[in-house]
Amino acid sequence: MGRREAAREEARFMRGETGVDGQSTAEETKDAAEVEKDQAREQLLRGRTWLGRELLTWLLWRSEPGDPLMEHDGQPVTVLFTGRTVLRGLHGEVVELSAKGALAPYSVQVKRALADGLLVHSARLRFTCGERTWEAGLDAEHLDVKSAKLPELLTEEEDDRITERLDLAEQLSGFVDALVSRFLAVRASRSWGKEAVPAMRRWMEGREKG
Amino acid sequence: MPFLRGSVTFARFKVASPARAPREKLSFFQKALETHAFEPIRQKGDEDRAEGFVEIEDNDATDFSANALFHGPRVLFAWRTDQLKISAGRARDELVRWALAFERENGRKPGRAERSEQKAAIRHQLRARATPTTRVHDVAWNLDTGQLQVWSGSRKAIGEVLAALEEAFGLKLVPLVPGAMAAQEGVSDEALTPTKELSGAGLEAGHGKA
Repeated sequence: MGRREAAREEARFMRGETGVDGQSTAEETKDAAEVEKDQAREQLLRGRTWLGRELLTWLLWRSEPGDPLMEHDGQPVTVLFTGRTVLRGLHGEVVELSAKGALAPYSVQVKRALADGLLVHSARLRFTCGERTWEAGLDAEHLDVKSAKLPELLTEEEDDRITERLDLAEQLSGFVDALVSRFLAVRASRSWGKEAVPAMRRWMEGREKG
Repeated sequence: MPFLRGSVTFARFKVASPARAPREKLSFFQKALETHAFEPIRQKGDEDRAEGFVEIEDNDATDFSANALFHGPRVLFAWRTDQLKISAGRARDELVRWALAFERENGRKPGRAERSEQKAAIRHQLRARATPTTRVHDVAWNLDTGQLQVWSGSRKAIGEVLAALEEAFGLKLVPLVPGAMAAQEGVSDEALTPTKELSGAGLEAGHGKA
């Protein structure tokens, strides 16, 4: 090291810009938890994902009693959460929680996590309309239909089977749209903050049935 | 063809513009699809990837006849991508082998230009022997309801199909998610800020758009 460079280094050290090891003292160290929280926050805000999470959380609450939530061709449609449910949140030490088990979505543990500020991010739903049943995975960000199970096809001809399968897929998509419309009607109204949210909080805290 | 068998996984969109596609005009669909029709990778060319629209029942065909396209109220077609992958490890091994043989033969290591020339020749040989990986994503456009489904679980692939659809047909597609549906229904952004009581305190409202 030349004399000039050594003098510069000494000056940097004297100004407190570097430590005894010559490394910058101003180096930014973001801890892992902070990075994780930033990512969780970005995920929540991207494409207004919070609306999808609030929708799925509202639906979990509304579906627990097992009453029909809408009608299709004059027949009642019931919705049931089944299997794996993923919760995500911003605050506290847990940013994601996955609950597995046939009865997991309505379990005390999931409700407790919801009460702590996590929301449902993805879930598997079962729609029952008359004797027919659909099952599909839904995620809060895109509301894409994933790995859906459609009712048994009734037709034999290949062309008809394509049409029937597409009809059933569209019916499933229609159920999701109908639920979104119902949710938005409540969500944009005054009753959301005054009635729905307090009732959901009571349900999460185990003070009220869904 | 996922429409008939396999996993039922799809992304859902509303065709916002044009609100009604001219269903009686086969030429409208044919012309649009032909602008982005699939062309296989040429053996002697340089491209490693080919993509474009194909018929739903024959993924090698790009005639888009009325029979192939129209199925009741729906227009069905598919987006095909072929990708040639040349193993970097294999190319490196072959180059090392060639360099050793060159050194034995000439009593010196190959120069930079010689190596680069040989590298291109090896790449060309491996490319000629490689078989492309084909992926097909089905598209169903219901002209009665104006809903469009892209049958794929990959967001990257969905994005590519959407870009091609928008370019080929001049479509404006809106994802069927709460944020976008609320905007379509004229619900104001202020009414849909994150609910503090559910997602926890400390989240500033009004971020992110659908």
